Formats: sequence, C-alpha cells, structure tokens
Amino acid sequence: MEKIELTIIVLVLIGIIVSSSTMYYTATVVGNLSTLTSDVTTLTESVANLTSTLRDLTTITGLMAETLGQYNETLAALQDRLTEIEKMLAAKTKETLIVGTTDSVEKTLDPAQAYDYFGWCILQNIAGTLVSVKPGSETGADFLPELAVSWNASEDFDVWDFNLRQGVTFADGTEFNATHVKYSFDRAIALIDDIPEGAPAGLEYDKLINSTEVLANYTVRFNLNHAFSPFLGIVSCRASAIVNPTYAPIEEVGYHAGDSRASTPVAFVGPYYLTTWARVGGRDIEIRLDKNPYYWNTTGEYPKTKTIIFRFYSGPSTLRLAVEAGDIDMAFRHISPTDVLDLEDNPSVKVWWGAGAFIQYLCFQTKRAPFDDPKVRRAVAAALDRSAVCDTVFLNLSQPLYSIIPPGMLGHTEEFQKLGDANYALTQSLLAEAGYDESNKLTFELWYESSGHYPSSADQAIVYKAALEASGVIAVTLKSADWASYKQNRDDEIMDAYVYGWYPDYVDPDDYVFLYWASWIHTNYHNATQEALYDQARATTNTTLREELYAQIDEIAAEQCSVVPLYVSSAWAVTDPRVYGIYLDITQDMRYWLIYIGE
Amino acid sequence: MGLRSYVITRILLTIPTLLLLLSMVFLVMRVLPGDPVELHFEKKATPEQMERMRHLLGLDKPLWIQYIDYLGGLVDIRYLLEHGYPNLGKSMQTFEEVGGQIFSAFPATLELATYSMIIASIIGILLGVVSSESYNSVLDHVIRGFGTVTYAIPVFFLGIIFQLVFGVYLHWLPTGLRLNPVIEPPASITGLYTIDSLLEGNIIKFFESSKALLLPCLTLGIILSGMFIRMTRTNMLETLRLDFIAAARARGLKETTVTYSYALRNAFLPVLTMMGLQFAILLGGAILTETTFSWPGLGRYIVQRINFRDYTAIQGAVVVFGLFVTLVSLVVDILYAYFDPRIRL
Repeated sequence: MEKIELTIIVLVLIGIIVSSSTMYYTATVVGNLSTLTSDVTTLTESVANLTSTLRDLTTITGLMAETLGQYNETLAALQDRLTEIEKMLAAKTKETLIVGTTDSVEKTLDPAQAYDYFGWCILQNIAGTLVSVKPGSETGADFLPELAVSWNASEDFDVWDFNLRQGVTFADGTEFNATHVKYSFDRAIALIDDIPEGAPAGLEYDKLINSTEVLANYTVRFNLNHAFSPFLGIVSCRASAIVNPTYAPIEEVGYHAGDSRASTPVAFVGPYYLTTWARVGGRDIEIRLDKNPYYWNTTGEYPKTKTIIFRFYSGPSTLRLAVEAGDIDMAFRHISPTDVLDLEDNPSVKVWWGAGAFIQYLCFQTKRAPFDDPKVRRAVAAALDRSAVCDTVFLNLSQPLYSIIPPGMLGHTEEFQKLGDANYALTQSLLAEAGYDESNKLTFELWYESSGHYPSSADQAIVYKAALEASGVIAVTLKSADWASYKQNRDDEIMDAYVYGWYPDYVDPDDYVFLYWASWIHTNYHNATQEALYDQARATTNTTLREELYAQIDEIAAEQCSVVPLYVSSAWAVTDPRVYGIYLDITQDMRYWLIYIGE
Repeated sequence: MGLRSYVITRILLTIPTLLLLLSMVFLVMRVLPGDPVELHFEKKATPEQMERMRHLLGLDKPLWIQYIDYLGGLVDIRYLLEHGYPNLGKSMQTFEEVGGQIFSAFPATLELATYSMIIASIIGILLGVVSSESYNSVLDHVIRGFGTVTYAIPVFFLGIIFQLVFGVYLHWLPTGLRLNPVIEPPASITGLYTIDSLLEGNIIKFFESSKALLLPCLTLGIILSGMFIRMTRTNMLETLRLDFIAAARARGLKETTVTYSYALRNAFLPVLTMMGLQFAILLGGAILTETTFSWPGLGRYIVQRINFRDYTAIQGAVVVFGLFVTLVSLVVDILYAYFDPRIRL
C-alpha cells in the first residue's frame, strides 16, 4: 500500500508539475503570442502608415509634377501671349504714325477762318477740295482731280466749270453734289465781313468770285469778276474746302477745339477725320486723325496709315531729342538746320529733303528819306550778301533768291543778280550820286523780328549788317521787336528797312509777285505798269507769255527795289528709317494719307 | 491778438495786394506797343472791321470802364459757380474763356509742381540734415558741393542731359509730354493723370503717366533740392548749437531723436516758408522745365500768350499766379502763427 500510495503521490505531483509547467508554458506562449500579435499589429500599422506616407509622397510628387507642368504651360502661354502682344504692338505701330511737331493750330479748323500753316495742314488731311496739286510736283501747277473730275475755263478765264465726282458721301450719308460746292464758297464769302483775318478774306474771294452757279446736280460754275488763270490754285487751297452744310452753318463760324463739330467725322470728305483735338491754353496738346471709312479714293488703299497722332513739342531741340529717342515716328516742322545736318549722320533716323516755298525779303519804307530814292534802295540791295547768310546762318539749307518768285516756279528770274551780292563798287557809286560817302555815311535802322516768327532772324540781321557796313558807306543800327510789335510797327510805318517773310496760299507766281507792292506790307510803293502786267498775267494760261510778263515785273522790281528778295528755304522732315511715302514738294503740303511705316 | 483775428486780418490784407497786382498788370499790358486787334487780323482788315472787333472785345471803351468791367467779372460768383472758374474775360486771340484756358493748363502744372516738390523736399531735407550732422566732414563738403551745383545748374541743361541719357541712349523714359500718345488719357476727375489713372483703376495708365512725369520732376526736384539742402543745413547747424539740444543730449536721448524730433522740428519753419513760396512759384508754371519737356502747363501758356499780346490771357494768368502766391503765403503765415504763438503777438 505504501508503495502504491507513494507512486500515486509521485504521479500526482508529476502531474501537477507537468500540468503547471504546461499551463505556465501555455500561458507564456499565449502571452508571447499576444505580444507578437500586438507587434504584428504595430508593424501592420507602421506598414500602413508607411504606405500612407508613401502614397502621400506620391501624391505630392504628382501634384508637384502637375504644378510644374501647369507652371510650364503657364509660362509657355505667357510667352505666347507676349509674342502675341509684341505682334499686336508691331501691328499697332504700323497702323499708327506718330508725328512730332512744334506747330499748333492757330485758331480754328473752319475753312472760312483758318489761315495758318498747321491749321491748313490738318484741314488738307480731313477736308476735300475740287482739285489738288500732284504730290512731288516741281512747279506746283500739276493739278489732279479730287472732288471735281474735270474742268474747263472760258477763253477769258473768268468763267470756270467743274464736273463733280459722283458717289462721294459725307459720313452722315449726305451725298456730295454741286449744291455743296456752291454752299461752301457762298459761305466763305458771306463770312468775310465777320472774319477779315480768315483765308477767304486774305485771298479776296469776294472780289474774285462774282457768283457760284449750280448748272446740274454734278456741275458747278464759278463766274469771276475778272480774268484769273490761276483759279485752280485757289480751288485747291484749304480755304476752298468743301463743307457739309449741316455742320458748317452759314451764319456761324467756329470749328474750335471742344466744338462738337470738331470731333465729328461728318463735316468734311477728306481721307481722315478728326477724332481727337485737345488744346490747353489755346495751344494743341493732342490731335488724332483716323481713317475716314467713307473716303472716296480707295483705289490706292488710301489712307495708307489708319491713324495719325500728333505730339506737340515746345521747340526744335526737344523735337530732335524725341525723334532720336524713338518717341515719335516723324518730326516735321521745325528741326533746326544745325540739328538736321547732324541727324543726317545718325543711322537710326532718315532725313527727307525737299524744295521750299517760304521766302524772306527786305522791305524799304519808300514814303520818306532816305528810301524814297530808288538809287539808295538799289545801293543797299547791291551791298547785301545773300550767300553769306545762306552759308553761315542756314548752313546752305536755304538758297539765295534773286526774284520774288522762287526757283522752279513759272516766271522765276535772276533779275536781282544784276545788282550783285556785296557789290560794293555799285553801292559806293550809287550812294555817291545820292550824296553819301565814307565821311557822310548812309545811316538807317534795320529791323528784324525777334520772337521766333521767322527762322534765325537775329543771326540773319547780324550778317546783313556786317555786309552792308563792309561797303564803307553805310552805317546800320539793328533794331528788333517781337512779332506783335513788329506787325504794329509795320502798320504804323515807323521802320525804314525791315525783313519780312512769305509763305504762299497757293503755289503760283500770282501769289508771290504782288509782294512788290502789297499794301499790307506798307512800303507805300505803287507802280501802275507792274500792276497792269500782273493783271495781264492773271488773264492768260499761256506760260510763255506769263513768263515774259513776270520777267518784265521783275526787271522793274530790280530797278525800283521796293522789296528785295533775300532767300528761299528748303524743307526737311526727319523720320524713323521705316517711314515711306513722304513728298516734300514746292507746295510744302504734308499729305499724311500717303505716308506709311514699312518693314 | 487771437488766432482767428490774425487769420481774418491776413485774409483782408490779401485783397489790396491782389488789387494792386491786378491794376499794375492791367496798366502795363496796355502801355506796351502792339495792338491785339491788329494782331488778330493777321493780313488785312478794313478800319470798320477793326473797330467792330474792338467793340466786341470792349477795347473801344475808356480804360477805366474796361478796368471796372474786368474787376466786375472777377467777382462774378454766379459765373464762378456755373463754370467752375472765375470770369477772367475772353482771350483776345482765340476768343475762348481765359479762365477755362488757364484751368485746363493748371492740372499739368500742379502735377509737375507737386511731385517735384516732394522730390526736392526729400532730397533737400535729408541731405541737409545729414550734412549738418556730419559738419565739416568730407560728406558735408560733398553734400554742400552737390547743393551748390544743383542750385547753380540751369534746369534746361540738366533736363537735356536727362533726356539724352534716359531717352535717347537708354530708351527707358520718354523725352517729353504727359502720356504715351497711343494711350488714351484717363477720364479727367482731378486732371492729374497719376491720380485719375488710379481712380480709374488702370495701372498701365498710372505707370505710363508716372514714366512721363519722372524726368521733368526729377530734373526740377534736383534743381530745387539745392536750395533746400543749404537752408536745412544752415538752420540745423544753428539749432544744433542751442541749449535745449545740449539738454536733450545730456538726458541721454538717442542722437537720431535729438536730430529729427528736436532739432529738425525747430529748424524746419524757415524751410517750410521757402517750400511754400517755391511751390506757389511752381504753380505759376515752371516755364523752363515745361518748355524743356514740352509739358503743356501754365508756364508755356503764359509765354505763348505774351507773344500774342493777349491782354486778357496774361492778366488772367498773372491774377491766378498772384492768387496762388498770396494763398500759399497766407497758409504759411497761419501755420507759423499756429506753431509759434509769438507771431500772433
């Protein structure tokens, strides 16, 4: 029993030990398994986190790539846009010509009133006339049909018929016809009393035109008061621009800046219309011309440039800087002679040269001593040195003038050459006859304009004085006055000798020759023979005869020397080298509708 | 005398000043040779036509009636309210309202004058202070030299140099005028392109108008700064020697505080006077600057009108100019009295 019990106890103990161990082991395994599970879970979580992070990273990389792509796309789009803008700008530049000038419209753009260079220049580009001078004309006598397609004059040149162009309309739809021509001239004449400073008054339309008749819808007749062969010159000038009656009432003058008519395309039938005209203090600050969509002359794709913008500079030097800096495409009126010669060597600009029609002349007060004696006037004329003035003052951009009619024009002579330049022998002998010598010199005051109305007046005066005094028998005192006082002095006839200038209204000797005796110059010189020859020349188109008649007038003029021609100027414009289509001819007209910017 | 009495007295004193100025201009313009009617009719006019024009312009009336008419126009409140500018008569050449002409030219001048004064003040006062701080040093001599040179140099010369460098050679800035011509000017609210373009919300116009303003304003600003440098420096040197500055330093205040808060405030009054007067003169038109940069302001307007013997226009311009000077002097005096009560005594 004891053995069995012992065995059982041992077995139980072994059982307890084995089961305890097993339990412990199982518990340990279970515990380990639990830790393992926890670790696996953590690992899984970590893997999940890592995966998520990786996914995020991928997303971010994708986004970055996408953003980069978008950035590249944006950059490419921007570059495309930039190229497009550059192209647009280039196109815009080509469609727009920017012109710099020191000019300004003086008062208005009403053809019945405007009588200044720039006003006429703008009018020429916005308003049509019956005929026009051919661009590049050397004589100014080659006329082209404009609103008139043909014309003829009576044998005596006192009746002129014009056949008008059909199918021309004002922008308000009004069709142009003969009544508009009659209205325009009737209006110009009717307004003369109210506007004596206007061009129709200056050109004496009232004395020239007796009546304007409408013969048919497209035929108009001018009955003149006297024979007048240069009538085409008159109808080509801006005072003869055709107006739309709706916008140019006969009882009212105007067309000022700010006037509603000034910014409407309907008033005229020219290549452009005036879209902007701003002035500050009576001076232009902005003028813009835009293509007139109703312009009749579309055969040559006129106007060549869609928009013309004018910029207004205070003086020649600022204008020069602007064209050099490329602020403007074209500088026209006035860059100084020194500057323009300097710019000729500058490859970034192009200088255009042309004939000039502006002249200057010396006037003598003939109603009193010493210049009531033609001998004394001749003596002074012989002592003048035109070449010295043209060389030193105008740097050879002006030419000496020996007839009041400029070279190139019908009737030009070299008559005053007879008296010579710095011809002191003649001066001394003529003055000796008049009682002057070295001990008793001819003394007088030589006047010039001092506020810039004429070019380099003071410099000119100094050279004239030097040449006159070099004769040894003349003593000159220089006197000057600004333009206002100068004109007053002229009218008050207080100046003995004075330098004056002339720019023609129409390019014809008829508009020059009368200067020898023009009453408004106040020289008090009259010569019935010259005036009769002048009237005779007006009554013929026979060029040989006209030439002869003008030569006779010049011959008397050189003998009488009431007015002594001094010089004729050249014309010039400075542009960007890509600008084409400029005609600087004797008319001095700037036809903007022919100008364009090329490549 | 209280501040109010002082202001009233000063305002009342401006009336005889302006009247005297107006009378002198009125008379001087009429004794100069050159008949405006003759000038108006450039080529020819019959005596009857001239007479009619004289009648239209009121030039056929006795001088004293013309004078009274002119004064009457000036104080015409109804006209002022209707047009926004005083009745200064009609231009004898263009027959436009002189008031309208002057006030159309004025914004360009105001814009030029304002920005130039800002530039001049910044350069002038800063350099003046720096110069006084570094008294007798190399820097002081350099700044003084700069001040003298800019004071002496003609505005057109510096302007042309700037135009050549920044316009012709570098092509950075326009050589003149108020705005690139292909850009439409901003709608006129103040007349100042920089302000109007911002009001319009158009940054390109603002940029372009600022570009156009930069050269003329810089030129004028630099030229004017010379005067301010010298005045600021002199006044600062005097002020820096005073006891209260020594006391401020003794209290251990920072040198910058002493210089800018104590000394500059006291030295600034005479500079302020100069700035005020200079600004008033500029408002009358910086003729040379406006001419150099083709700036369409009052200065160019006055020169233009003088050449045409446009009596009414010149009178108007001088009256407006006189008004500016008087008003600015008045404001400066009042500011003085406000800041320094001793003046009111």
